[in-house]
Amino acid sequence: MTIGLRRALAAAAALLTALYFVPALGQAAGTLGLEQLMHELAQVKSSRGKFVERKYLAMLDTPLESSGTLAYAAPGRLEKHMLAPREESLILDGDTLIIENKRTGKRRSLTLQENPVVWGFAEGIRSTLNGDLATLRRFYKVALEGDFRAWRLRLEPTEPRMRQAAAEIRLGGSGTWVNRIEIFEAGGDRSETVITREPS
Amino acid sequence: MTRAGRWALGAWIAVLLGCAAQVARTEFSTDLSAFLPRSPSAEQQVLVEQLRDGAVSRLVLLGVERESPERLAQLSKALAASLRASGRFASVANGEEAGFEKDRELLWRYRYLLSPAVKRERFSAVGLREALEELLAQLASPGGVLMQRFATADPGGEIMRLAEQLQPLARPKLHAGVWFSADGSRALLLAQTLAAASDIDSQKAALELIHAAFAEAAAGSDARLLASGTGVFSVASRARIREDALRLSLLATGLISAMLLALYRSLRVLGLGLLPVASGALAGVAAVSLAFGAVHGITLAFGVTLIGEAVDYAIYLFTQNAPGAPPGSTFERLWPTLRLGMLTSIFGFSAMLFSDFTGLAQLGLFSIVGLLVAAAVTRWVLPELAPRGFAVAAASALAPRALALAQAAPILRNATLIVLAAAFGYLLLRPQPLWSGTLASLSPISAREQALDAELRRDLGAPDVRYLVVVHAPGEQAALRASEQAAAALRDCIARGWLLGFDSPDAYLPSEATQLARRAALPAPDALRANLAAARLGLPFKPDAFEPFVRDVSDARTLPLIDRAALRGTSLGVRLDSLLVKRASGWAAMLPLRGVSDAQAVAGALKGTPDAVLLDLKRQFDDLYAGYLREALINSLAGAAAIIVLLAAALRSPRRVFDVLTPLAAAALVTCALLALGGIELSIFHLVALVLVVAVGSNYSLFFDREAPPGEDRGRTVVSLGFAAATTVVGFGVLALSKIPVLNAIGSTVAMGAALALVFSATMARRT
Repeated sequence: MTIGLRRALAAAAALLTALYFVPALGQAAGTLGLEQLMHELAQVKSSRGKFVERKYLAMLDTPLESSGTLAYAAPGRLEKHMLAPREESLILDGDTLIIENKRTGKRRSLTLQENPVVWGFAEGIRSTLNGDLATLRRFYKVALEGDFRAWRLRLEPTEPRMRQAAAEIRLGGSGTWVNRIEIFEAGGDRSETVITREPS
Repeated sequence: MTRAGRWALGAWIAVLLGCAAQVARTEFSTDLSAFLPRSPSAEQQVLVEQLRDGAVSRLVLLGVERESPERLAQLSKALAASLRASGRFASVANGEEAGFEKDRELLWRYRYLLSPAVKRERFSAVGLREALEELLAQLASPGGVLMQRFATADPGGEIMRLAEQLQPLARPKLHAGVWFSADGSRALLLAQTLAAASDIDSQKAALELIHAAFAEAAAGSDARLLASGTGVFSVASRARIREDALRLSLLATGLISAMLLALYRSLRVLGLGLLPVASGALAGVAAVSLAFGAVHGITLAFGVTLIGEAVDYAIYLFTQNAPGAPPGSTFERLWPTLRLGMLTSIFGFSAMLFSDFTGLAQLGLFSIVGLLVAAAVTRWVLPELAPRGFAVAAASALAPRALALAQAAPILRNATLIVLAAAFGYLLLRPQPLWSGTLASLSPISAREQALDAELRRDLGAPDVRYLVVVHAPGEQAALRASEQAAAALRDCIARGWLLGFDSPDAYLPSEATQLARRAALPAPDALRANLAAARLGLPFKPDAFEPFVRDVSDARTLPLIDRAALRGTSLGVRLDSLLVKRASGWAAMLPLRGVSDAQAVAGALKGTPDAVLLDLKRQFDDLYAGYLREALINSLAGAAAIIVLLAAALRSPRRVFDVLTPLAAAALVTCALLALGGIELSIFHLVALVLVVAVGSNYSLFFDREAPPGEDRGRTVVSLGFAAATTVVGFGVLALSKIPVLNAIGSTVAMGAALALVFSATMARRT
């Protein structure tokens, strides 16, 4: 699923640019850095943020924008509440994914194991937040770039059915805060979600 | 040998030959439906048919357990693969994706013929505008990814609508790609045989295949396979009936023969003593075969009943003969009493003859004909064949002691009355009902097997359907049209909150009329493009974004209509088969309901649909059973009344009728109390058995009532009664060993009741 947790970094673009300038450093940090990052992420027990998501779809002339809030609670609960253009919630809890539309009262429940593609998307984000490298590697080839202050995870699906749906998922972050999620779909569609820390 | 004797012998042999000829071409069935009621109402008929032969009855529920979940998942996959490859199953589902590929393709291909949303307005500029606005909102939403893939070919979301509509009411959870029970200890599979459930040979072959495939897959592992389902039950029951019928008949015959040999001390007399039984059994089978076309295995097992009672006749003949008297001379005096006893039995058995259970009716006919023939053989044939001057030494030796015992018995009269009062009080005061109120009590399947079945069904998430709408129609298309009409009424009920959901055959296979209407509602490509262009004005969709949609709609306009053949091999087809069934005359569509909160309102809403009936299955089954229990009670009371009339006519003294009947009623009452004390809920079978107690016991009380000079003669009578009762108790006691509920119930009840009837006949005898 297209969700992630993180805060908006005003300086995100700048940091990313900086990251591109030191690719050798990021790659040298490689495996060790990944494990360390995961270890740090695993320390986060809960977090909340606001998101703005833009979907770039081949069938559309202009991107589709939506926004709302995100909440994560270790180890397995992730909530995405879209508030605009209309209200709809997506709640991932354990094995179950619930899509709920409060306005119409409609509620769909999916079991992850029965929907391998949905499962792959969901774990891409959740396992990152949870710092669960083993689960992440069940679905993806994982590569890390950047340093702890500005890192980027590139997830490349290994499972054939998942590859038909998504070419790559990229998560960007700073420290233990995930601030950007990009999903590149196999058909050329993509979405980017920018996450900002909710002022507390 | 007298002239009359020769005639009797000749007639006997002729009858036997005729019976043997009939038996030789008799079909023996073990179909358990003989012990399902012959349903009185059309709705119940559908239920019974479904139990017997419906698609649901062809399901085999499988569970694999006692291994690690990963290993169980492997076993499930291996077992499913080899069953799918065997070609004996219509479908094998275990949760693997592989099983649903075909379903998905089918739904996608036929979505514009299957979706109830397909109407002309929906493809107009206004309808499409609505759909596109909704699509846009959905694409932006978190759930949007689910439809993104389909959006350009299916902007109206028909495939999502179908997936939602056709989603099974509940599904087991998945682990490692296969179905598991909620606690994760058992991998689950659901196979549907190609063969009908009533084709027991094929069911047996399918089961053997399952077990062989499992044994191969699970070699060297501790894993265990559980199987349940109608076919499994039929196979097990047949094996059990065959085994019990043979084993118990042999055992009873052996035991009784040993007892008789000990009494007679003559192989020839033993052989002669079995002649009435053998002749009766042969004639009984021949009569049932003539009347019913086939003889049920359980009826055969009932040969034991005849051994229990008909052997008595020979015992009376041989045992009561005084030493030196010509055979039959004593019997002349006994005959009126014996004849009355036999008639009493026949009147009692006649209650079964009118039973709505084919099985019980067969037992009744078998017993009546068998007893008549056995008595006739005893009366007219045996005396001709018995050795001259034969007397049972033991009978004379035991006579004085037996007589003393019988004369002393009335001392216990008061004790008997106390026992009777205690039994009566117990039955009156115990809080639990004496009679079992559920149809399950008649099931030939043991409680343990029923529990396993319920467990696997629950694991598989098949909810117990309580409410079912049944629609009858003369043809398949008419049934589908009626189903569509009922479904429309039910959707209205959902909107009003009277029920949560339902399943209906037209969702899988819409009627041809509906499919044609949907096909006609699809516009031509150019018209659709024009409408789309108007609809997307001001929306961010690209001009040619929906070309795949235009192409698919265009294809659907010439798509052949979907039919049963198109659904074959898919899980949708399997479900259709269980919801739309061909009956002996016409078709029936079944719509199981879920979450009914107001059954009366739903029934009212269906009034507009002709031939649609809302069934409350639980009530139907309970009513069915209550109806049969009532019928059996009335039959039994009628049998009892007939016995009273018979005795009144024969004995011509109300007081003697009372004397004869009291010990029998007492025996029946105390037997009931003992059974209840043993924690047994009485069923119709027990009721019938109580009638048998009265029938068999009447011989005893009649003999005790009979005017006879005290002395050795009467002593021998008591010995013969004791022996007759002993053989009855042994014969029926053996029946009580059966694992088949009907045999077990009748066996234990009659064994106990017969013994009590003899004791009470003695203790309650008026004269000493």
